[in-house]
Parts: sequence; structure tokens; C-alpha cells
Amino acid sequence: MKRAFVKIGGVVGAAVITSSLIAGCSTSSDTIKIGAIAGLTGNFITEEVVKTAQRVFDDANEQGGINGKKIEFIVKDDAGDPKRTAQVARELADAKVVAMTASGSFTDCDVNDAYYRQQKISSIMAVGASPKCYQSPNIAPVNVGPFTLITAELMFASETLKNERICNFTVMLPGSEEAVNNALGQWSKITGKQLVVNDTAVQQSGDLTPYLLRAKQERCDAILFNPGEQMVVPFLKAAQTQGMSDVDFLLLAPAYTESVAKAIGDLGLKVYAGSEFEPFTAESDANRPWKDAVTRAKASPTAFSQGGYLAARFMVDVLKTIKGDVTRESVNEALKNMAPISDPMVGTPFVFGQGDRHAPNQASKMVELKDSAWSPIGDFITVPTSS
Amino acid sequence: MLQLSAAIAGLVTGGAYALMGLSTLLTYRLVAVVNFAQAAVGAFGAFVMVILYEGGLPLVLAIPLGMAVGALLHCGLGAIMVRWFSEAGEGVKAAVTIAIYTGLVVVGLRLFGAQHPHRFPSPFDAAAFTLGGVVITWTTIVTIILAVLFAAAPAVLLRNTRVGLLLRAQAERPTTAELIGVRVPRLSMIVWAIAGAASALAIMIIAPQLASDFGSQAALITPALAAVLIGGFRSFPLTLVGGLALGVLQGLASSIDALKQYRGVLPFVVILVVLVWTRRGDRWDEPS
Repeated sequence: MKRAFVKIGGVVGAAVITSSLIAGCSTSSDTIKIGAIAGLTGNFITEEVVKTAQRVFDDANEQGGINGKKIEFIVKDDAGDPKRTAQVARELADAKVVAMTASGSFTDCDVNDAYYRQQKISSIMAVGASPKCYQSPNIAPVNVGPFTLITAELMFASETLKNERICNFTVMLPGSEEAVNNALGQWSKITGKQLVVNDTAVQQSGDLTPYLLRAKQERCDAILFNPGEQMVVPFLKAAQTQGMSDVDFLLLAPAYTESVAKAIGDLGLKVYAGSEFEPFTAESDANRPWKDAVTRAKASPTAFSQGGYLAARFMVDVLKTIKGDVTRESVNEALKNMAPISDPMVGTPFVFGQGDRHAPNQASKMVELKDSAWSPIGDFITVPTSS
Repeated sequence: MLQLSAAIAGLVTGGAYALMGLSTLLTYRLVAVVNFAQAAVGAFGAFVMVILYEGGLPLVLAIPLGMAVGALLHCGLGAIMVRWFSEAGEGVKAAVTIAIYTGLVVVGLRLFGAQHPHRFPSPFDAAAFTLGGVVITWTTIVTIILAVLFAAAPAVLLRNTRVGLLLRAQAERPTTAELIGVRVPRLSMIVWAIAGAASALAIMIIAPQLASDFGSQAALITPALAAVLIGGFRSFPLTLVGGLALGVLQGLASSIDALKQYRGVLPFVVILVVLVWTRRGDRWDEPS
């Protein structure tokens, strides 16, 4: 008898909880829901991206929100797993997000581009890494990306550093051949110069010395090397062993971190990296608003967090232009017709626009390795958009 | 000329493959387990060392501590094998180590981070001499000397000492050995510990040369197993030669345009070729 009561009580209790949950869901539509996918767990953590973006949205809410409505920022963790990336995008769509902003997932574009098109969801990405991020009508990353950055860095080598024999060693990620080759070709088109060595089949396993021997034999005076932190360190160590202290080494943004600077600072090599935004290690006026946001967000101040900050800021600006209801349709419309937004942290203004592909950021600054730290050099290098 | 230089440069990775292969062979010969987790265990020890070193501990303390962690971890793995799988077939044992390998990689990436590189100390980084346009560091020399030692010591131990005899007995017939009074569990624990410490040392030496994340270090097991296969899972000297040859071959391959993009799969090609060659006499439907 007693047991039956407990059972009935349990069922009633569950029903009450369920109904209140449903009620809770339906009543919360008085907020503007914005989604993001990031790696909060897993091998590659981009937590600082969404934390900084959250701070920007919180600031906007504290100043009264958008037409009196608060922004609700829903962040989903994909743990770097494509299956999860696909799943959480569907969860966000079901939660009725009006747009995606400040995503920092490396699988998002490849996995979800088609889904975003189908669901008519636009995304201002914080960190675009795959070619797909720059080839979709629904996605506009705020960062330069690893392809335009190649062109910008080669321009830096040939025009600023006046290197004559520039060599390129690329670890090719599946699906990025075309984008890398286009970026290299773009540089040749702009400067009329050719690479001395162009090896786009660098292998991640084993010793990297043979590549350096080739560069040495061809008397390269600048070497562009694209991988991230884990490979850059043994590569430059091997370069030091082979006595290549008179060569300019150009690294991409993933290698522009403090741990790389510490690990290779004492090798005595000439090392440069592209920063994509105003260099995050620079104490400049341009960085002040971001630095303030990232500090209050208690997130680590990285280049990724700059992306999160900018993406959220641009989205808030666009939302403010919307008259009437903020829906997927009205956000898409506003993004298509937005006026370009300038920010001192980026070299070219951000605009979403009408195009069937978006790469608004076409300029990068460079940093130089000095005393085990990165120090900014020069102004933004803007890649002319000729094509 | 570039080919020759690249081949010479491959000696250091070759030495690394040989070292890893030899400690894998040690485990196999003495406790009859094909241990896929060997490099992962070594990487664990090496990463503990680097974290202690980054924390300010001097190398002379950090290295033995890292080796101790490798030994301890390998003992744990050995305990599982002795306790639950001592009578199981080689296939089952290998499968267990693959499962453990996967687990260790996940835990290792979580503990030691995949994002930022660690500063692996390279005390032997100074240039020793230049050969064929390649600067050879002391690391290469130390690696190769160590590999030769690794190859010679177990061979001598197994052939010429009483302990070696006992070890061989327990590897080949564990139950019989136990029945005639050999203290199998204790003896094999010592073997597991030594092999674990040796792999940790091997990874510590070669870590600065390779991509410095846990996954890449643990993946050294593939070329290591290719080297062991060349040695027929029996011969220490041939495993040494196999490892060195594989390294040289990879160096050579990355200097030849038509081959360079296949450098990463070379260990698998070697494994395949060796398997096909050694099994050339077998008939397909013959019961094994």
C-alpha cells in the first residue's frame, strides 16, 4: 500500500516537473536567442572565445538590451567531435536561435554549412579555420583565416622584408588544397614573384630535418611554415641545429602563442607570425575595449578571444539596427543590408552583405619574436581584393 | 646529394624507432605480450618528467622520477596481464593492450594538454659534427648508442645468464615454469617495470625531435612495431637494424618528390611487406 503511494507520488512529481519545464521553455521567448558552438572539453579548448562573447552580450543587456529584450547566449560544447558538432547545431536550431555568433569550433563550417543554409541561420564566426567558412552564403568569420593569411605573410616577406628566395612548406589538411593553392597564386599575381620551393605535402610524422635540408640546399631566405604549436617547435629546433639563423621563418596565427614564444625564444632564429587581428600581446589603444572585456570575463587573452569579442560586438551592432521583431528572417535581412563596421582591431571593415561567400577580413598585422616574447611590427598588411 | 643528407638526417628518428621497437620486443620476449601501449606508457613517463622539469626540478631528479612513473604504469599494465590474462592467447593480450593504449591516449591528452607544446629539455642538442651537409647532434649519437645497448644487453642476458633462462622459461611456458618453482609473477613484474622505464627514457630522448603532443608520441608504436616485425619478433639486432633502416628510408622518401607525400605511411608498407614475405609459404585455408 505504502509502496503504491510512493509510486503515484513519483509519477505526479515527475509530471509536475515536466510540465513546469515545458512552461519554462515556452515563456522564455521574450529573449533574443543567439547560439555558439565551441570546444569546452576535448583536445582543443576554445572556451575563452565564448566567455569573451558572453561578456559582450552581458554588457549589451546591462545597457538595456536590444529594443528592451535581453540577449540569451546559448553555448554548446562539441568537444571537437564532428558528430557532436552536427548534433548541437540541431539542438540550437530547435532552441530557436535567431543567429549563430562567436563560434569557435573547427568542425562547425564543414559539418553544419548545409544545415545552416537549410535552416536559414546566419553565423558570424569568431574563428574560421576551414575553407568552407569562407565559401558559404551563411557564414562570415571575423578572422582572416589561414588562407588569406598565407598571401598576407608572403607579401610581408617579399615586400617588407625584401626576401628574394621565398619557400613554402605546408602541412595540407584534407579539403584545403584548393584554398592554399589559391592563396599562393594570389601572392604571385599581386607581386609577380614565384616561390623557390613549394612543398605542400609536408608530413606530420617523423623528423622534419629533411625539409630544412631542402630549404638550405635551395638557399631559401624566407620559409613559410603553416602548422600549429606542436609542430612548429620541433621544426624550429631542427632549423637551429642545421644553423639556419639567417633565414626568416614565417608562421601562421596558430603558432602566435605565448607557449611557442617561450619554447623557441632562446634558439636565436628570426621568427615572425601573422596575428590576424591587432596583436593580442600589444598594449595598444585598439586592444583596450577587448582587453577590458576579456579581463572582466575572466578568460585568457588570446587571439581567439579577440575573435569572440569582435563577433559578438558586430552582432550587437547589427541587432540594434533591426526595427520590430528580432527573428531569423529579420537578422538575415539586417546582415545582408548592414553598413560595414570598422574597428581598430581589424584592418578591413566587417560586413556580411549579399554575396554567396564572405571573407570580410583581408588584413593582418605581423609579430616578431624578441627575447622570448612576441612584439608587434608594422601596420596592417592588406591583401588587395582583385579577384 | 640532398638524398644522402636526408638519409643521414633520418638516422635520429631511426634510432628512436629502434629504441621503441627494442623495448617492445623486450616485453614480448620476456612476458609474451605484444604491447601496443608501450609508447603511450613511455610518453606518460616522459610527460611527467617534462612537467616536473618545467616546475623547476633539476633534470637529474626529473628523469629518474619520469622513468619511475613509466615503470609503475607498466607494472600496473603487467599486473592486469598476470592476474587476468596469463593463460590467454597472444591475440587476446594484444587486444587488451590496444584498449589500454586508447585509454592512455585519452587520459594523456587530458592531463598533459594537446594544445600548447611542452618544453622538452634537449641536453644533447649541441652539434657533434657535420656529415654530408647535415649537422649531426649528440642526440643522434646518444640515441644510437643507447639503441645498440638496448639490443645487446637483453640478447646477452637471455642467452648467458640464469635469470635469462628463467625469463625465457616463464615467457614460453608460464604455468610449467611456476610449477617447477620459478616465481613467475614477481619475475615478470620486474620485467614490466624495466621495460616501462626503458620506454620512458626512449621517449624522453626523442620527444624534442617530434611533434610534442601526447598523441604523436604514443603513435611511435607503429614504426616501432614495424621494426620489431623486421626482427621477426625474435632478434634484437635485427630490430635495431630495422628501426634505423625505417628512419633512413623515411628521410630518403621525404627528399624524393614522387614519394614524399607517402612518408607517413611507410611503416605500414614495411609491416605489410614483411608480413607477406614471412607468410609467403603459408596456404590460406591451412588451420593455424
